[in-house]
Amino acid sequence: MKTRGIRYLLFGLLMGSYGLVCFLPPAEGAVLDGLMGGVEESLGKRAEEKGERLIIGNFYQAERPDSHAPIGVMQDHTHNKGEFMFTYRYMYMYMDKMRNGTDNLSINDVLSPSRENFAVTPKNMTTQMHMFSAMYGLNDTVTLMAMLPYVMKEMEHQNRAGANFTTHSSGFGDTKLAALWRLYAFETPSIGAHRFHLNTGVSLPTGDINPTDNTPLGNNSLLPYPMRLGSGTVDLLPGLTYTGVRNDVSWGFQALGTVRIGYNQQGYKEGNRYQVNSWGAYRWAKWISTSARLNWQQWYNIKREDGQLQTTVGASQTPLVPTAYPKLQGGQRLDLMGGVNILFPEFRGLENHLNVEAGAPIYQYLDGPQLRQAWSFWVGWQIVM
Amino acid sequence: MKKRHIIVFLASVFLMTGVTLTHAYEVGEAHNGGTIHGQVTFSGNPPGPLRFTVEKNPEICGQERSLLKVETHNGFLTGAVVVLEGVKKGKPFPMQALRGNLPGEGEFRYQGGNSLGLQVKTKGCNFGPFTGVIAADEAVRFQNQDMIKHVLHSFVSKDTKGRILRTVHNQDLSPRDEIDRVFPSDKMKDGVVVRIICNRHDFMQNWLYVVDNPYFAISDQEGRFTIDEIQPGTYTLLVRHPVLGEQRQEVTIEARGDLQVGFQFVNE
Repeated sequence: MKTRGIRYLLFGLLMGSYGLVCFLPPAEGAVLDGLMGGVEESLGKRAEEKGERLIIGNFYQAERPDSHAPIGVMQDHTHNKGEFMFTYRYMYMYMDKMRNGTDNLSINDVLSPSRENFAVTPKNMTTQMHMFSAMYGLNDTVTLMAMLPYVMKEMEHQNRAGANFTTHSSGFGDTKLAALWRLYAFETPSIGAHRFHLNTGVSLPTGDINPTDNTPLGNNSLLPYPMRLGSGTVDLLPGLTYTGVRNDVSWGFQALGTVRIGYNQQGYKEGNRYQVNSWGAYRWAKWISTSARLNWQQWYNIKREDGQLQTTVGASQTPLVPTAYPKLQGGQRLDLMGGVNILFPEFRGLENHLNVEAGAPIYQYLDGPQLRQAWSFWVGWQIVM
Repeated sequence: MKKRHIIVFLASVFLMTGVTLTHAYEVGEAHNGGTIHGQVTFSGNPPGPLRFTVEKNPEICGQERSLLKVETHNGFLTGAVVVLEGVKKGKPFPMQALRGNLPGEGEFRYQGGNSLGLQVKTKGCNFGPFTGVIAADEAVRFQNQDMIKHVLHSFVSKDTKGRILRTVHNQDLSPRDEIDRVFPSDKMKDGVVVRIICNRHDFMQNWLYVVDNPYFAISDQEGRFTIDEIQPGTYTLLVRHPVLGEQRQEVTIEARGDLQVGFQFVNE
C-alpha cells in the first residue's frame, strides 16, 4: 500500500506538472522565486560585506565547455525561453564475466551442476545506443525535453557442451519526455552561481519487449530480459538537479529515478532504478574542460515474469540461462568516469559542443549470476541555437 | 455555508480592490496645467567610460566597445531621469523615441497613450540609451534588428545600490526576433530600477527607472528637461541617476505656471 501510495503521489505530481505546463499562463520565473526571503537576506548581507551584489534567478548557461554536464548526464541544465538544443549521443557499453554479489564467476561456475547449474551462460554483451534528443525553453520556468534512442544489443553465450552462440536485438527504445522546472538560482562573484531544477518526466513504452533471434532452442526464440529494448511500461522519471560554477570550476549533483507504473503486456515489470550523479569539471581554456564523475545506480529485480519465456530445459528441468530469471536482474554499481568537453567557435549563430566520456565501475554488487559491466564510452554532439 | 460565502465575497472584494489600487494612474483631461523646466548640472570629475574588447560577434558589434555611464557636457548631466512622484491622474503618456551616445543604433521608443508602451529596438549590439524608464505590468516589446543572437537578462533592484538583483527574464533574442515580455508587479516587488544586459555581450547594459505616471523626463545633452501639463498642486520632484544617486525637491505648481528648477550632482 505504501509503495502504491508513493506511486500515485509521483503520478499525481507528474500529471500536475504537465497540467501546469499546458494550462497556466506563461510562467515568469523560477518556481521558488519570492519564497526564499530569509535565504536571500542572509546571502545579500554576506555579498554586501564583500562589496558584491547578489543576483537571484539567473539560469543563463554561459557559453563555456563545461556549461553542460559530462555527456553521460542528461537533463542537467535548462534553457532560456525560446532556446533549442539538439543532441546526438552514442554510447557503447561492454559487459564481460559473470558475477554474483561482488564475486566473479567463471563459465564453469555458472554451468557446473554442483554450482549455479545453468545450461547456458552469457559470456559477454555489448550495448550500443544512438540517442537523439531535443530541449526547448518553453518559458522562464519550464524546459521541455524529448529523447528517442536506437538500441543495438549483442550477447555471446556458451552452453555446457562448449558451443558458443550469439543473439542480437536492435530497434528503437523507449521514448522519454520530460519537463525541467527551474526552482531557484543565486550567484555572487565570490561564491559563484548555484542553480537548482526539478526533473519530471515520463518514459513511453516504444521499445520492443518481444525481440527474437535464432538460438540453439530454435529459430525466432524469444530473447530474455537484458536483450529487450524497452521496459514495456509507462515509467515516471522524477529527479532533482543542482549545478554550480565559479571561475574555471564547475560541478553538479543529480538524483534521478525510474519508477515503473503497472505491468507490461508480457505480464512483468522491470524493477525501479535510481541513480545519483556527482561531477566536477575544470575549464583549462575557453574551449576545453575535463571532468570526473561518480555515478551510483541501484536497480531492482523484475516483478512477476514473462510467461512466454523459456526458463528451463530438458526433462530434468535444468535452469536454462540466468538472464531468463526475474530474480537475477537487480544490482548496484558505482562508476568512475572521466570526460572531455570541447566548445567550438560559434558557426552561423550555432553553439557546438563535442563531449566524450569513458569509465568503468569501481564497485558493483549483482543479484547474480549476472554479467558485470566492464566499461562504457560516451560521445555526444550538442548544438544550441 | 452562509458564513463561508460572506468570507469569500469579502476576500474577493479585498482582492479586487487591491488589483484596482495597483493600477492607480488614470488618463484624463488636463486643464490649466503648469510646466516644470529644469537643468541638471554636474561638477567634479566624471568617471571615464568602461572599455570592452568584443569577444563575440565582432563583425557586428565592432572590435572594441565602450560604455559611458556618466555622460556630461560642459558641466551638464545627460541621462538623468526626472520623475514627478505620486501623480494619480492627468495627461496621457508621451510618445517619444530616444537614442543615446553609445555605439550602435539601439533605440528606446515610447509609444505613449494610455500606457508607456516601451519598445526596445536593438541594433548594432546596442539596446538603446544607457538610461530610460519602464512601467510594471505592461508588455515591453523587444526587437532584435541584428543578425546575431542576443540573450536578454533583465533584473530588478530596490534601488541604485541595491545588493539583491532579482531576475525578471532570461530570454533569447534570435536574429530579427520580436517578442513582448511583461514585467509583472508581483515579480518587481518594491523594485524601482530594472537593469537589462545581454549575457552574450557584456558591454550591453542599460538602466531603466520604474515609473507609474507620464510625468517624467530624461535630461538631454545640455542637462535640460521639461515636464508639462501638471495639475496645480504640491509634488515631490525626483531626479535619479544610475551612478550618481538621487535628489528630491518639493515643487508647487500653479495653473498655467512655469517653474524653473535645478539639480546639481557632485562627484568628489
